[in-house]
Amino acid sequence: MQITFKFQREGTRAKPVYSEYEMDVDPETSVFDALVGVRETQDGSLAFRGNCSVGFCGDCTLSVNGAQKATCLETVGKTQKDGVIAVQPIRYAPVEKDVMHDVRKFLWDKVNVFARGVVPNGHGPVADEELRPVRKAMRCTTCGLCDEGCTVIDVNLNFHGPAALTKLYRFAFDPRDGVTAERLREGSEVNGIWDCVHCWEATEHCPFGLEPTHLIMETRDRAVAHGVKSGYGNKSAQRHYDSFEQSVEKSGWLDERAVALASYGGLVRGGIRMLPAGLRALRKGKASLKPHHKRPGAREIRKIFERYHRSTEALRKEKQA
Amino acid sequence: MTRFAFYPGCVSKGFCPELYESFVRVAAEFGMELEELEDVGCSGAGVLPAELSDPINARTLAKAEAMGLPLLTICSTCQGVIGGSALRLSDPAHRERVNREHLAEEGLEYAGTTDVKHFLWAMVEDVGLDVVRGKVKRPLAGLGFSPFYGCYLRRPIDVIQRPERKTYLEQVTEALGGTNVDIAGKGKCCGFPTLTINEENSLAMTAKHTGEAVDKGADAMVVPCPLCHLEMDGEQRDAAKAAGRKIDLPILHVPQVVGLALGMDPKELGLSRHLVSTKKFVAQLQPVGAGA
Repeated sequence: MQITFKFQREGTRAKPVYSEYEMDVDPETSVFDALVGVRETQDGSLAFRGNCSVGFCGDCTLSVNGAQKATCLETVGKTQKDGVIAVQPIRYAPVEKDVMHDVRKFLWDKVNVFARGVVPNGHGPVADEELRPVRKAMRCTTCGLCDEGCTVIDVNLNFHGPAALTKLYRFAFDPRDGVTAERLREGSEVNGIWDCVHCWEATEHCPFGLEPTHLIMETRDRAVAHGVKSGYGNKSAQRHYDSFEQSVEKSGWLDERAVALASYGGLVRGGIRMLPAGLRALRKGKASLKPHHKRPGAREIRKIFERYHRSTEALRKEKQA
Repeated sequence: MTRFAFYPGCVSKGFCPELYESFVRVAAEFGMELEELEDVGCSGAGVLPAELSDPINARTLAKAEAMGLPLLTICSTCQGVIGGSALRLSDPAHRERVNREHLAEEGLEYAGTTDVKHFLWAMVEDVGLDVVRGKVKRPLAGLGFSPFYGCYLRRPIDVIQRPERKTYLEQVTEALGGTNVDIAGKGKCCGFPTLTINEENSLAMTAKHTGEAVDKGADAMVVPCPLCHLEMDGEQRDAAKAAGRKIDLPILHVPQVVGLALGMDPKELGLSRHLVSTKKFVAQLQPVGAGA
């Protein structure tokens, strides 16, 4: 089929300036192979990334017709829109030339923070079942599509992002590893697992179904179970998660006022931060000064917390032993 | 007549009273019969670990199941989190453990049959858009609404179950005579979960979404989640300041938009309670009966 290939060579993501090339191509050809074809037959100066061309290396990620794709996994026939395939660089990495991005700074450097290999803990042979979650995370090719979708990276490039946190998961859940708590503490620093807003974009964007958002949530739960208090290196995260838990444990539901005050750092700091909006909300009848009351069933919910505390305490002791 | 076990969630009983009140009015108009659940806990909101939220939500699901009713939520975070628990509890081994360890003492048991539905879904699937259309007394013609789903109502697909649910906000706005003003971040996070953790990130998200809507000509934004409302209404002033621009975009709850089209009084629907003024928006509404 006849396709117009458009390469962004200048301009911005919102206002791209394209170079255009016409080429006859089999619809079953991968987008990546077609781009290579354009470069080989029409313009040798075009720059883009790519390596294995079989969905293994994660190098050829691009924005194609506005959607982010691992280009070697997509066919021209399914991707083209009205005979056009327009490629742009991914949004979170600086561009080196054309659509070729600097993959190191915003992907590899972050992944490498969590890439220290297994430190053996003397664990004997591991059952297949026990390794299954780890093996799932090991299938990550670091294509960066999850980071491309990430809501937080969109506003803060320093957030480690789901790709790097998937690497954290891979080691933090390995039963053979001897430094799990240490890894979880590292992952709990600012810009780590507790800065994720669990919007599920990463899970939706992963082309391999690895569910990175789920992995981050599981890593948080594991951090807590390993005695790494929520938001270990991020005090405001710790205050928020702890006060939330205490509120539900005490009354069965959320005491918004108390949680907000505690999260902002207590009565004085929280009070100062919340005062302007709080007063407007009171005046407009959005907030009230009614005291927070216990919900019917609060006793039963408290018991759920007590059983949970007992089991995490038992797990902690077992890990220490 | 459709009956539901109604789970209002913490925020509609707290800082978003206008959501609860507008929903109850609109539900009555649609003949939805609500059995409000009192003896239930917070869903966990993605903050509590699954080891805690699954038993708390299993308790809620078991109570709805005992009433033989689907669970109705008006908060997408409650919807997503309880839906996520329900999905995990569909595994018989996990369900049996939660029943045995947590619910049995109270004489409860969850058999895994409760359907969890957001009001937006129930309005399209149980009430039906034709019925909604037929009740419009004040079409929202000439007004642009940016749909903002936030995190939970479009994902994950195994929790939302039906892909067509990803477009219900747009479908409802059209049924009410309004125009959709699409924005790129409609399925992204509003910023609320990280407001007290990383305020800079949080306000940047809010400024980005609301700013884009204003730039594209939206008159208001529609949200199915009171947490999005707390953020994008309550923090919009600070977000605009941080971004160095003017925004002033009214943020409306789904039942408020529906209620307006059904001819209800903006004040009764709680529009005057918002922190971002809705006066200019309300002034643009047609009189009841116009063009219907």
